[in-house]
Amino acid sequence: MKKLSKLMAPALSLALALSLAACSGGDAPSQNSASPAGNSAPGGDAAGDGKYAIGICQLAPHPALDAATQGFKDALVEKLGEGNVEFKEGNASGDSSLCPTIIDGFVAQKVDLILANATAPLQAAASATSDIPVLGTSVTDYATALEIDNWNGTVGTNVSGTSDLAPLDQQAAMIQEVFPEAKTVGMLYCSGEPNSVYQCDVIEGYLKEMGYETKRFAFNDTNDVASVAQTACDGSDVIYIPTDNTAADNTEAIANVVLPAKVPVMAGEEGICKGCGVVTLTIDYYDIGYMAGEMAYDILVNGADVSTMAVKSAPEVVKKYNAANCEALGITVPEGYEATGE
Amino acid sequence: MEFIASLLNSMPGAAAQGLAWGIMAIGVYITYKILDIADLTVDGSIGTGAAVCVVLTVNGVPVWAAMLCAVLAGVLAGVVTGLFHTVCGIPAILSGILTQLALYSINLRTMGWGTGGGKPNLPVSVDKYDLLVTARYVRDLALRNPLIPLAALTVVVIALLYWFFGTELGCSLRATGANGNMARAQGINTNWCKVLGLMVSNGLVALAGALLAQYQGFSDVNMGRGAIVIGLAAVIIGEVLFSKVFRNFALKLLACVFGAVIYYIVIQVVLRLGLSTDDLKLLTALVVALFLAVPHWKARYFSKAVVPAQKGGSAHA
Repeated sequence: MKKLSKLMAPALSLALALSLAACSGGDAPSQNSASPAGNSAPGGDAAGDGKYAIGICQLAPHPALDAATQGFKDALVEKLGEGNVEFKEGNASGDSSLCPTIIDGFVAQKVDLILANATAPLQAAASATSDIPVLGTSVTDYATALEIDNWNGTVGTNVSGTSDLAPLDQQAAMIQEVFPEAKTVGMLYCSGEPNSVYQCDVIEGYLKEMGYETKRFAFNDTNDVASVAQTACDGSDVIYIPTDNTAADNTEAIANVVLPAKVPVMAGEEGICKGCGVVTLTIDYYDIGYMAGEMAYDILVNGADVSTMAVKSAPEVVKKYNAANCEALGITVPEGYEATGE
Repeated sequence: MEFIASLLNSMPGAAAQGLAWGIMAIGVYITYKILDIADLTVDGSIGTGAAVCVVLTVNGVPVWAAMLCAVLAGVLAGVVTGLFHTVCGIPAILSGILTQLALYSINLRTMGWGTGGGKPNLPVSVDKYDLLVTARYVRDLALRNPLIPLAALTVVVIALLYWFFGTELGCSLRATGANGNMARAQGINTNWCKVLGLMVSNGLVALAGALLAQYQGFSDVNMGRGAIVIGLAAVIIGEVLFSKVFRNFALKLLACVFGAVIYYIVIQVVLRLGLSTDDLKLLTALVVALFLAVPHWKARYFSKAVVPAQKGGSAHA
């Protein structure tokens, strides 16, 4: 009996692993199907299966990041045709230490290109390979993420991609346009997100030039969002929230604080504006994902050199307002603003 | 066949990550198995090691010195947890949680060193610094392959610990964990031993953090999230699989490293089989629970009933 149970331990755990794998195997694209391994440029030759294998590493399940991934996939499927491209997706579930594991799997499978959706996957991919082209998306500032000193718009290695940076000078101008009376702008963001810290650093400069006083209110995680938001309400006339993932997940909690306190929120992206904001100058994450997909097509099919490709920003920005919240706070937006969707 | 080939191709990466986490698992072994304390400081101190190592490296300190400082920072984290527990009388598990929480802020500040604020993420590129390990060369057949320094460090760590736990101080540390009351009766300062154990453990965890940051090319304030579970998984997998073969103390430490490597190989396999990464944490938790439960069930349901002594005096003697 003792022998039996000793054998059972590894066997049971393996069985468990396999059954879990089997359960979830359905929705992921079949990872074990033949990929054009060892062939960096399949070029659609008749002999091989001619499929392009693309590894997608996304930092966390999140509406904005999901939209970027979707845009990327749509662009490639549209250009290459269904069935000519195979996506291998890994989502790190917010755990940055999982990124190297996922990326390493892609490198081992010799994918033709890696899409790194957010900062930590981009860093892990840049560290793991210098041959396979890496495209980033939803990365705000490539110079900070990859520690580039003399930023000239091009990374210069096997890395390029699209940035989710909305024009922060225009966002600052928007605060001035909608809230001319305000004196203090409070910045509410998660201290654990590099993108948010960067945006606050930059917009703070613009706001100070315009004569605003700025204050920072950083929360650490979901648990202290509400209390930090309350402090922010007490200390500011207007609150600015950058494209912050944690804030995006907690818009209800923020709305429950800022709306009763009658403090308007200017949001860095539409999702946050829909949840708890008043106005936003927004980029579309689907668009930047789609642009990254077009860049991928250029690299894979047209043989473009990734090291000379400049990092691109969103094609257009849109001014939007949240009608319900504007009404609740008695704010009238100027001409030229679109209402956010529901 | 292609599946097998690409799986084999991912083994060096799994081994490298496993070796780095293996050093962390040895740290967990010291607190969890030897001291009998579940120390949750590690979720923070792994990030501390990474943050200190990266921030010093990018400021021009040689990598070896940066790693040494990372270890010292981890040791300090262990001191804090130890003092919370022994001087302030806070239960061990809560002390670890408190330090871990505090380290989040400290890690932010560490990475933001020189900028006046906190920074959640700091890159360190192998193209710019002479790093000890990097994911870039893990498949190269060359001296710069990270598996070589990782394996060498593992051997050094195990050798040092083997020596240390053989000294009088090391023995008193083991006695503290085995039977605190008895150890005290023998004149051992058990509080000091607990602090010392936490220092050694967190120093190792920080070393692992420094290695991982170099390997993945960045340190991140969230990188320690759930680290204790990976460490425990490695310790327990190693123990369940190798406890019958590995009797020697050094080999038991090696079993932790093997456990971590096996953990990462299993992760690679299940990911390749198509497991969605969304379910990965559930899988990890279930595997750890299973491996923890098996020895318990074995003892309970499969052991022979205790037979009363046949010879010698009666029970009423």
